[in-house]
Amino acid sequence: MENVELLLKWLLFVAVLLPLVSFFLILCAYPKLGTSLGSGAVISVGAIGGACILSFICLGIWLNHHPLHPHEADPKGDAAAIRIDRDDPSAGPDIRLVSLLQDDHGHEHKQETKHEHEGEGHAEGSAAEHHEAVKPYTGEYYVLGQFGRLRLSISYYIDALTICMFCMVTLIATCIHVYAVGYMHEELHDMTDHEVTMADGSHLKRPGRFFRFFQYLSLFSFSMLGLVLAGNIAMVFVFWELVGICSYFLIGFYVERKTASTAANKAFIVNRVGDFGMIIGLMAIWSGMGTFAFGDIDYNSDGHIRDTAAAVEVGMFSQVRPAGLHHSLEVPDGMLIAGVSEDFRDEVGMVYADHAGLDENAPREAIEPSRLNAESEIASRLRDNDKNNWGRFLLIIAGIGIFCGCVGKSAQFPLHVWLPDAMEGPTPVSALVHSATMVAAGVYLVGRFYPVFTPEVLLVIAVVGMITLFMAATIAITATDIKRVLAYSTISQLGYMMMALGVGGWLAGMTHLITHAFFKSLLFLCSGSVIHAVHTNEMPQMGGLLKKMPVTAITMLIGCLAIAGVSIPFVVGLSGYYSKDAILEQAWSFAGAHNPAWAWMFFFAGAGGAAITAFYMFRMWFMTFMGTPRDEHRYDHAHESPPVMYVPLIILATFAVGVAWNPGEHWFEGIVGGILVTVIFVLIGLRYRASAEGSSERGAATRQLINVAIGIGVVMTLLSVIWMAEPASNVVLTNLLKSARPAGTGHGFHEAFGGVMTWPSEHDIHTEAAFWPIKVPVTLLAFGTGIAGILLAGAIYWKGILSPRDISNQFKAAHRFLLNKWWIDELYDFCFVQPVHIVSRVISEIDKRVIDRLIDGLAAVVRRISSVWEYVADQTIVDGAVNLFASWMYSLGVALRGVQRGRLREYVMFIVMGTIAIFALFLLFSRSLI
Amino acid sequence: MTLIAFINWHFFFFCFFAIIACGFAAGVLFSQNIVRMAFYLVLSLGATAGLFFLAGHEFVGSMQLMIYVGGTLVLLIFGVMLTAQKSFVSMKTGGGDWIIAMILGSTLLFALLVAAFGVKSWRTNVADREIQRKDVEDTARIGGKLMGLSIDKLDKQESGDESEIGGMVGYLLPFEIASVHLLVVLIGAGYMARTKRRAKEAGNSA
Amino acid sequence: MNLLDQPITVSHYLAVGAVLFVTGAICMATKRNALGVLMGIELVLNGANINFIAFSSKYLREETLGLDGPLIALFVIVLAAAEAAVALAIALNFYNNHATIDVDRADDLKG
Repeated sequence: MENVELLLKWLLFVAVLLPLVSFFLILCAYPKLGTSLGSGAVISVGAIGGACILSFICLGIWLNHHPLHPHEADPKGDAAAIRIDRDDPSAGPDIRLVSLLQDDHGHEHKQETKHEHEGEGHAEGSAAEHHEAVKPYTGEYYVLGQFGRLRLSISYYIDALTICMFCMVTLIATCIHVYAVGYMHEELHDMTDHEVTMADGSHLKRPGRFFRFFQYLSLFSFSMLGLVLAGNIAMVFVFWELVGICSYFLIGFYVERKTASTAANKAFIVNRVGDFGMIIGLMAIWSGMGTFAFGDIDYNSDGHIRDTAAAVEVGMFSQVRPAGLHHSLEVPDGMLIAGVSEDFRDEVGMVYADHAGLDENAPREAIEPSRLNAESEIASRLRDNDKNNWGRFLLIIAGIGIFCGCVGKSAQFPLHVWLPDAMEGPTPVSALVHSATMVAAGVYLVGRFYPVFTPEVLLVIAVVGMITLFMAATIAITATDIKRVLAYSTISQLGYMMMALGVGGWLAGMTHLITHAFFKSLLFLCSGSVIHAVHTNEMPQMGGLLKKMPVTAITMLIGCLAIAGVSIPFVVGLSGYYSKDAILEQAWSFAGAHNPAWAWMFFFAGAGGAAITAFYMFRMWFMTFMGTPRDEHRYDHAHESPPVMYVPLIILATFAVGVAWNPGEHWFEGIVGGILVTVIFVLIGLRYRASAEGSSERGAATRQLINVAIGIGVVMTLLSVIWMAEPASNVVLTNLLKSARPAGTGHGFHEAFGGVMTWPSEHDIHTEAAFWPIKVPVTLLAFGTGIAGILLAGAIYWKGILSPRDISNQFKAAHRFLLNKWWIDELYDFCFVQPVHIVSRVISEIDKRVIDRLIDGLAAVVRRISSVWEYVADQTIVDGAVNLFASWMYSLGVALRGVQRGRLREYVMFIVMGTIAIFALFLLFSRSLI
Repeated sequence: MTLIAFINWHFFFFCFFAIIACGFAAGVLFSQNIVRMAFYLVLSLGATAGLFFLAGHEFVGSMQLMIYVGGTLVLLIFGVMLTAQKSFVSMKTGGGDWIIAMILGSTLLFALLVAAFGVKSWRTNVADREIQRKDVEDTARIGGKLMGLSIDKLDKQESGDESEIGGMVGYLLPFEIASVHLLVVLIGAGYMARTKRRAKEAGNSA
Repeated sequence: MNLLDQPITVSHYLAVGAVLFVTGAICMATKRNALGVLMGIELVLNGANINFIAFSSKYLREETLGLDGPLIALFVIVLAAAEAAVALAIALNFYNNHATIDVDRADDLKG
C-alpha cells in the first residue's frame, strides 16, 4: 500500500472518530463541566475543528499526489490505454481482473470522440480513456464477519469527491458549532420555554440542555463523516440510519413542544419509508452482485495481488462497468444469472457441472476462479438470449431502491413533507443538518452510486427532481415563516441537484451540492441571527432590520445573490451562478440531444424554478431587512448578534462568494470578485454609518465594521492573486470534482431505450463548439430570469409598487393551493396517518377491554385467594400455633410460679427430697458396692 | 475387774456416745422450747466429740469441742437470747408438716442405713491392734498437711503411681480460702448485725 | 449377746452419722424458729463430720483416708462456724426488721 493511501486512510479515520470521541467525552464528563460558555462546547468545537484541519491536510496530501489538470488539458495519446498498474503475472484472459480507472478528460479529445460517441452502440474500440487516471483508494479497516460470500467490513473509499465532501462538511460544521455556542447560550442556565404551556397556563421552566445539544451535534458529525468515508453500501446504510436518528434527536431538541416532537417523529418515519426502498435495493445488489463494496478490495491490503483473482473482491462499480468494455454500463453476470428464466435453468446447471469441483465449503480462493469462469460462460450465453431482460430489471430495481432511500433522505417529492416541519429544531440544526449535510447525503449517494444507474433509473431521478424543484419553489412563494422559506428553498435546490444528476450532469450536480451547502447554511445561520434578535420566525413581524443588523443583512444578501445565481454574465459571478448555470446547460444539452420533445420540460422547469427562486429569496430578504418595521416592539429590541455568531457568517459568506471561482481559466475571477465584495461591504457600511443615529459607540462599531469589510476584501483580493499562480490555479472546485468522476459515466448513454433517448456526455457543454448553441442562451436566460425575479420581488416587497394582498386576492385559488403546501400533508394524513390511527385505536381498545380486563381479573382473583389463604394459613395456623405455644409457656410459668411460696421450710423439704432422690438413684445404680 | 475385761469397752463407749448424740439430737428435734433445744444440741455435739475421740482423732474432737460447742453454739445461744419474745409460744408447726417431714426423714434414714450397712468393705472390721508411734496422728502432721506437705502419704511418693501422686498436695489453698472466708464472714456478719433503728410495728424493712 | 459383741465398724459410725443427719434435716424442715433451723444445720454438718472421721479412723479400717478425713472435718467445722455467724446475723436482721423470728413470716419472695 502506498504511503499516501496509508496516510489518507488513517487521517480520515481519525477525522471521522474525533466527533465521536467528543460525544463520549461530553457524555462522561457532563456533570463536571461548568456552566461557563466554553466548557462543554470547547470539546465539541475542538473535535470538529480538528476534523476540519485533518480534512484540509488530506486535501493537501491528495493534491500533492494527484495534481489537478486545468480544463484545457494536453491530450496525452488518443488510443485507449488502460493501465493496469498492479503486478499481475497470472492475469489470464478469462479472469476479469479489473482495476478501476477514472476519467479525466481533455477538451480536444472531446471533439474527436464526440462524433464517435454519438449514434453508436457501446463504445467499443473508440478511444475513451486517456491520461493516467486517478484511481480511488479503497480498502478495509476491519472485517466484521464473512458469511459464505457475504463479507461485511468497515471499509473506506477515498477519492477526490470524498475529500471534497470531508472538507465541505467539516468546514461548515465547524462554523456552525461556533455559531451554536452563541446561539444556544440561553440553554446554559434554567430557561423558560414560551412555546410550551403547562396545564395551569404558565410557561414551562426547565434546566438548560446546552451540553446535550453539542453531544448530538458531535454524534451527527461523526455519522455524516462516516457516511462519506464509507466504502461499501452496507456501511453507508448504517451511517444513513445514524444520521437519521441524530436528525431525530436534533429536531426534537425542544422535546416538550408538541410541534417539535411530532416533527421529529415525522422526519424519522418518512425517512424510514425511503429506507424501505433502500433495503430492497440492497437486497437486489446483494443477490445479484454478491458484494456490497464500491471498489475492488484487495484482501491482503498491501497493494499486491499475489496470485489469483480470488484475493480481490470485485466491487460493484467494476461489475457493472467492466474495464474490458471501457467502463460502459453492462448488466453484471450475477444479475443475469439471478434473473435467468426457467428455460435456461438446465443450461445453467450444465455449465456449473462443467466447471466441476465447485465445492461450497472450499475456501474462497480455491473456488473463486472456477466460479467466475462458470459465471462468465453462463453470462455470455445468456446475454444473447436474454429476452425478458430480468437481469437488467434487477439492476434497475437496485438503482431505484437506492434512489428511494435518497428520496427520503433528501426530501424529494413525495417524501419531502418532513423537511419544513424539521424547522422546529434550533437554527444551527437546520443549517447543519437540513441544508448542508444530511439532506446532501442523498445527493452524495446518488453521485457516488452513479455508475450503477441505468438510463431508466436516471430518467426517474430526473423526473422526481424536476417535480420537486418546481413544487417546492411554488410553495416557498407564500410561506411567511422565514425558516420555512429556506426549507422549501432547500427542497427545491435538492430537486435541482437530482435533476442535474438525472440528465447526465454529474459534475454540475456535485458542484451545486458543494456550493449550495455553503450558501444555504449561510442563509440559515443569518435567519437564525435574525430570529435570535427579534424572537420570532414570522416575516410579517419583521422589517427594516438592515440598520440594526448590518452584518447579518449583508451576509444574507450575499447568500440570496448566490442562490439566485446572480452574476455579471460571462465575466464573474457568485458561486451559485456557476453551478446553477452548469445544471441548466446540461438540461439544455439533454433536451437538444436526439431526445423527444418532452425532454425540454427539464430545462424549462429548471429555468422557471430559477426565476421563482430569485423571487422568493428576495421577497424574504426585502421583507426582513427593508422597508419600515412592522412590529415596533420587536424592532426596538433587535440588535446585532455577538461576534461568536457573525464571524461564522462572514466565513461562510466568503466561501459562498468564491468557492466556485476558477482563476486559472478566468484570471479576473478572483480579483474582480474580491474587489467587488470589498466595495459592496464598504458601501453598505458607509450607508449604515450615514443612517446611524448618533451615539459614538455606533460610530465606533461602524468603523470597526468597515475595517473588517476592507480587511476581508483585501485579503480576498490578495488570495485570489496568489490563486492565479500556476500550481495553485488548478485548485478549483470543478477540477477537483472532475477528477472524481466515476469511470465510464462521462460518456452518457447513447441509444438508450432502444435508440429513443440519449444522455449526452457532460463534456459536450464545455467544448468550444457548444459555446454559442448552449452556453450563451442558457446564461442569458438564467441571468434574465434571476434579474426578473429580483426586480419583481423588489417591486412588491420593497418599493411597494404592487401590493401582495391584491395579487393573492386575484389568484385566490392558486394562493390557497400554495399556502396549504399543495395539500400533500393533508393527503398523506388521509391516506396513511388516519388509517394507522384507526387500526391502532382498535387494537388499543382490544388491549384495554379484553386483555387488560383478563389480566386485572386474574389479579383480583389471585388477590382474593391470597387474602383467604392469609387468613387461613397465616393467621389461623401459623399465628395460632405460635400463640398457643406461647400461652402454654405462660401457663407453665404461672404454674411453676406457684412453687415459689416463699416458705423456707418447704424449700428445706425440697432439699431433703432431692437428697433422698439422689441417694436412691445412687443406690439403685451402684450395685457393685452392695 | 472381770467386768472391765468382759466389756468391750470400745463398744460400750461407742454406744454411750452414740446414744447420747442421737438421743439429744432427737430432743432438739422434738423440743418446743428454743432454749432447751440449744442445750440439747450442746450435749449432742459434745457426744459427737466423744465419738471423734473414740475414732482416734483427738485433734478434731478437740476442735469440735472448742469451736463448735464453745463457739458456734454459744453464738447460737446468744442469738436465742437476743430474739427471745413471747411470741415463741405460738410457733408450732402444723401436723401436716410433721407427717411429711417424718415420712421423708424416715425414707432418708432408711436409705442411709441401707447404704451404711450395705457396703461390705465397711462392715469388716479391723482387728484390735497396737497403734504404732509413727501412726499417731499429731498436730504436726495436720499442720504440715495444711501447709501443703502431705506427710502421711510420703511413703507413696516412690511408687510413682499417677493416682497416688495426685493426692500428695496439701490443703494450703483451702486453708487460705478459709482464712479469707472467715474474714469476709466476720466483716459481713458484723455489718449485718449492727444496731439499727428499731423497726416499726408494721414491719417495714430498713 | 451377739449384737453386743459385734465389733464396731465403720458402718456403725455411719449409722450414727445418718441419724444425726436425718434429725438435722427434719429439724431444718419443721422448725419455725429461725434459730431452730440453724440448729438443724449444725446437726447436719456434724453428721457429715462423723462420716469423714469414721472413714479415716485407723481403728476401724485398714485403708483409711489418712489425714484427709480430719482435715476435711476441720474445714467443715470452721465453715460451719462461719456460716452460723452469718446465718445468725441474717436472722437477727430479720428479727430487727420484722419483730418476729418466725420463718413462716418470711415469705415476701413468693411468685
